[in-house]
Amino acid sequence: MIKARKIDVSFLNKESDFPMKPSGYMCVNSERKVWLIIRKRKRESKKNFWVVETCVLCTSVDQPCELFFNHEQVRTMSRVKRRTTHPPYWHVLKNNQRQDEKISSDNLRFVREVIQDKYKNKSPIKGSDLDIEKKEWDPKTKRSGVIARNIGVQHMWEKDGKKVVCTVLHVLDNHVIRYVPPEEYAKSIIGAKVFRNRKPLGCLVVGAEAANPDRFTRQYCSLFNEVGLLPKKRLARFIVTPNAVLPPCTPLTAGHFVVGQAVDVYGKTIDYGFQGVVKRWGFKGGPASHGATKFHRRGGTIGTGRDKARVWPGQKMPGHMGSERRFCRGLKIVRINMKYNVIYVKGTVPGPTNSIVQIFDTVLPRRKFTEAPPHPTYFPPEDGTLPQEDIWDSSLHVFGSPSISV
Amino acid sequence: MLRRAVLQTFRQGLAQSFFKRNAVSLSETTVTHQPIETSDEADEKSVSKQKPGDESGNTVVVAPPEFRFMYPEFLPDPAMERRNRLKEKLERIDMLQRRSVVEIPEFYTGSVMAVTVADANSPNKFARFVGICIQRGGSGLRAWFILRNVVDKQGVEILYEMYCPLIQKIEVLRLERRLDESLLYLRDALPEYSTFPLDMEPERRLNNSVVPINPLKVKLRPRPWLERWERQNLQGVEDLNLPQRFYDKAEKVAKPWEKYDLMLQYRKTIPAEEQEKIFADVHSQLQQQEFKRKIRRRRGTD
Repeated sequence: MIKARKIDVSFLNKESDFPMKPSGYMCVNSERKVWLIIRKRKRESKKNFWVVETCVLCTSVDQPCELFFNHEQVRTMSRVKRRTTHPPYWHVLKNNQRQDEKISSDNLRFVREVIQDKYKNKSPIKGSDLDIEKKEWDPKTKRSGVIARNIGVQHMWEKDGKKVVCTVLHVLDNHVIRYVPPEEYAKSIIGAKVFRNRKPLGCLVVGAEAANPDRFTRQYCSLFNEVGLLPKKRLARFIVTPNAVLPPCTPLTAGHFVVGQAVDVYGKTIDYGFQGVVKRWGFKGGPASHGATKFHRRGGTIGTGRDKARVWPGQKMPGHMGSERRFCRGLKIVRINMKYNVIYVKGTVPGPTNSIVQIFDTVLPRRKFTEAPPHPTYFPPEDGTLPQEDIWDSSLHVFGSPSISV
Repeated sequence: MLRRAVLQTFRQGLAQSFFKRNAVSLSETTVTHQPIETSDEADEKSVSKQKPGDESGNTVVVAPPEFRFMYPEFLPDPAMERRNRLKEKLERIDMLQRRSVVEIPEFYTGSVMAVTVADANSPNKFARFVGICIQRGGSGLRAWFILRNVVDKQGVEILYEMYCPLIQKIEVLRLERRLDESLLYLRDALPEYSTFPLDMEPERRLNNSVVPINPLKVKLRPRPWLERWERQNLQGVEDLNLPQRFYDKAEKVAKPWEKYDLMLQYRKTIPAEEQEKIFADVHSQLQQQEFKRKIRRRRGTD
């Protein structure tokens, strides 16, 4: 039972402005997360039969109803396991245990030469050489994303002198490994969940950071046998529409993005470890002095004695904080350095410095592309010359230009 | 910054050149030693030291060791978790770009400087402030310094970000050092020690190769103070004349073992080999910029 304050609301006007403070409470009709909910009695019966719980904007208030204010904590996600130390069971065993094989240095050198020979000729094919069907871009295409490393934060200034904190993202040596067509992907475990009620899309597997095959198991290296690339340390899946498909072995660089576009960055947040209730949930704790005995950073009460007579699931308590997968939506790209494959993004990104993140075109409807971006990806010109090494957004002050005079 | 001077204990050669450069006003006699740099350095402020050629026979140009005091913001934050070589390299490129437009001179805590900033609310659209540098910090493009002055009997401190594009000009009116790294005690000192005329002219130094140390001992106002100065081992302050209990408590609270803690100092500084690499990277560009500026100045006077 939800505890709420009941107010008779027969005077309610649909057009009036109501506070739309989001909470965990969802409107049934519009799926808006709202603070104020109207509950209408569907049919008069002995037990008050509450059915319709809709928000103010999509309810017509012609009969007396009741307003419910949500005072609760969000408890729906409390049972979901957010972190594990092991990979999913469908993953192949990845890392090799370092065997203490007593190989002589000559033999080690020979092994290295063999590896080099094996992968030397199979240099990644430039996308322009293969016949990619030049499919047209339309506003509904989803392009591939890119795996990058967050290498730190740099301060830049706008043309009016305002300081802007930009995160520097280094696009690693990304290559497309595999394409999974929509029908096949919809049959997989994750694909079935993602596309449960939607039209299925394809999945592009992208790898980054080539490494010595010695450190990986044979099963993991076999994932890259088809492509003929050195095995990658990191793999990621990007959902793409069929017209944005890239052939395997295509390199992805910083040029895949356009300066001024909005991107979403997905990463794992900073791991704070086991944290108390003050840091983890923002509790106020107790007074530092005035006679407080052993109550400075504790949680206090965890429930009433009466209602339900137990601790509710999802009760906020000390525990592991951080190391969670999060998205930062709608970050603007302010600068791209094509020579070093580095993107400067306005704002901050989940995760500590030197952690791996995934970047892709934003999902936010108002910040999507209006003109065609490099579709399906950016291909450098044939003669190897870069059109421009360092591309800046028009709002930023370029460091080599004269000082700003207001 | 002077805290990095602790590296002297590891590198004898660096220590020697440091003393030679900054030894003018020290009352005690300097230790006699073989100077590495000969009379070449007497004229030029900074001369690139040519290392003896390696096996290939090429000479490797190495920046003079004073660079880590002249340009401390080129050294990154020593916290190992947040370091990334590529990012530091890109930041250095940006810093040099900015320096090619605006001259950011060598200065230390205790130098009197004038900064002109673009200000929309000023009548001339530019605001000029003169003050003594009481603290400097930050690394990379975040480098900052604080200037202090007393204007109309009101103490004023302004924090300037060195690489902010609003800054039009940074002039050093008096280049000198003090006995302490940070002069925050000037806030509790008598106002005459922080007052500098706003129309101060830049002072010319006779001896260009050495930065003088001003051995001034500042008189503090009577307590209460903003900080417990008796616990901070300040050199540039006159005798505090406090009751003995303050000094007893300061001794109780003091950490005299920290000066023996090598790992603590190691973690606070960038290793000397990396410093050499960084400054060798940056050195030639800085020299070129200085050269161009000198030509421009000569042309301007002619």
